[in-house]
Amino acid sequence: MGPAPRISVVVPIYNEEESLPVLYREVQETLDGRGWSWELIFVDDRSSDDSRAVVLALRERDPRVKLVCFRRNFGQTAALSAGFELARGEIVVTMDGDLQNDPADIPGLVAKIDEGWDIAAGWRKDRRDAYLLRRVPSWLANRLVAAVTGTRVHDTGCTLKAFRRQVVKNLPIYAEQHRFLPAMSRSSGARVGEVVVHHRPRRFGRSKYGLERAVRVLLDLLAIQMISRFSHRPLHYFGLFSLPFAAASLLFLFMGTVNWRTFEMVDEWPQFVVFVFVLFLLLAFYYVLLGLLSELAVTASGMHRRRVLDRILSELH
Amino acid sequence: MEAPRAPLLELPPAVPAEAGAKHELDVTIVVPVETGDAEVGEVVAALGGELEREGRSWECILVFDGVRGAAWQRAQELSRQHGAKVRTIAFKGTFGESTCLSAALERARGRTIITSPQYVQVDPVELGPMLAAIDAGADMATPWRRPRVDPVLNRLQSACFNWVIRQMIRGDFHDLNCYLRAIRREVLEGVSVYGDMYRFLPVIAHRHGYDVVEVPVRHLKEWGTAGFYGLGVYVRRFLDVLGVMFLTKFTLKPLRFFGSVGALFSFMGLFILTWLAWQRIFLGSGLYNRPVLLLGVMLFILGVQVIGFGLVGEIIIYSQARNLREYRIERIYE
Repeated sequence: MGPAPRISVVVPIYNEEESLPVLYREVQETLDGRGWSWELIFVDDRSSDDSRAVVLALRERDPRVKLVCFRRNFGQTAALSAGFELARGEIVVTMDGDLQNDPADIPGLVAKIDEGWDIAAGWRKDRRDAYLLRRVPSWLANRLVAAVTGTRVHDTGCTLKAFRRQVVKNLPIYAEQHRFLPAMSRSSGARVGEVVVHHRPRRFGRSKYGLERAVRVLLDLLAIQMISRFSHRPLHYFGLFSLPFAAASLLFLFMGTVNWRTFEMVDEWPQFVVFVFVLFLLLAFYYVLLGLLSELAVTASGMHRRRVLDRILSELH
Repeated sequence: MEAPRAPLLELPPAVPAEAGAKHELDVTIVVPVETGDAEVGEVVAALGGELEREGRSWECILVFDGVRGAAWQRAQELSRQHGAKVRTIAFKGTFGESTCLSAALERARGRTIITSPQYVQVDPVELGPMLAAIDAGADMATPWRRPRVDPVLNRLQSACFNWVIRQMIRGDFHDLNCYLRAIRREVLEGVSVYGDMYRFLPVIAHRHGYDVVEVPVRHLKEWGTAGFYGLGVYVRRFLDVLGVMFLTKFTLKPLRFFGSVGALFSFMGLFILTWLAWQRIFLGSGLYNRPVLLLGVMLFILGVQVIGFGLVGEIIIYSQARNLREYRIERIYE
């Protein structure tokens, strides 16, 4: 193992045998053209085709090509996180294995990191995908993510991103969180910049996404919102959550027991008003209790004391 | 990359065995003993004899799960007879098969672990194909009794159970109720087995990315009586299935599970409430004599509460994120 390279390119692959030689050549031409030292890490998410043999053939010719093989299919986030673990470069670039990302964009992303940003996110301004099936849902999702997490990134779904090494080494990701990496790391103080990148139509294989993910994405988003903003003070989150319920209970009580014309309280409170009032009030209390429980979980894990990424980044800048 | 995927929780890899411990034997047979009349002598003779014939070095660890009785006397005799080859572990209380297996694993010297029920349930000759599967690269060989010799009613119940499991968990397992399994040692060191998870070991190992193969075996006999079990058994079995499904599918994404269930309830509640509000506002029918109002409010509240659980789950998982590794690497070409 030689000295650490400047750039690590991490590429999760799943049945991409046709694209890989082209991808390798483009990465090699671009990065060697700049005179940078680099490594190219493929993470094979248990492809059923010959992707693995193709990568090993590339590796025969060029030892800068590395390969991690999974025991079975574990998904893209797991693949990225395995690649991050292996990466040794100062700057870690992630990209898709299907050639829709253009390796020629890597220097632009690297330049952005050199300017002082911690993450350079690719923005496919001019997408080459089916309009209705891919671009509209993606636009909606991006607006939603931006609104919920408060991180204005135009294109969270774009895998082509560059990270300062410290970010990927200190930010654990799991369960499809790779899309939310900018949002999650920004809450730790990372500076997120954007670079417009090319987007090429698919040449080989077929798209591995479907449209049936709406509910899951919404739920994931709710989780990300909480984690990225409130993971250190979950009580605040649950407390805010309980407010509307408390308000609803009081409103119902007020409307049910106050005479609209005279603004006097009615003599006998209707039974159902009291029921509904109590039920909503209980819900509000319940959420506060859940918040306390979460505080307990966070404290017990010692997470609040670590905050490694925040510390490293604040020393860096 | 939306193909088969199941997030799963994994603790950091178990501390590698101390430098002194060597795994110099081929096979360790682990027998959790649960009743005093267990046929330990027969099990040791049948399995040990078969392994001798196969030319594999073996040892046997009998784990007495809080019972003694005749089996205990027999085990002492076996120990004297075979020396270090047959050892016993005795628990003071009853801790279940998973604990028996963990305790035996700490002391096992074999590279492959064979778990066995406390009587000769399956023709010992079947150890040959099972160990051959392990030699061929499988991580675990699990038996499939075909044909079975126990009463039809039991077979039917067992078939139902396994069918439900197949529907709920991706993975093609036909017989989770037979415990004569051959397991590569690394699997047990990588997968934490606890509670009632012993039964689901093949499923859990499969979710962790280990290669589990099913080997058809000849069924010799079955202990226990025919007929229905107590109600508690069915309830516990159902909860086991629920637990395994939750843990194999939603460990890292609790909100996906709780959130979907909760959203369903809250939408039902909201639907009722909207309907009532519409009637109240536009048709002028009062709310005071509408019991369905309470139903709507209750459903809504139930839904929101369930979602709350999911949020707490997310916090717990996130706070442990540094210890999570949701993937298993087969090989790194560095």
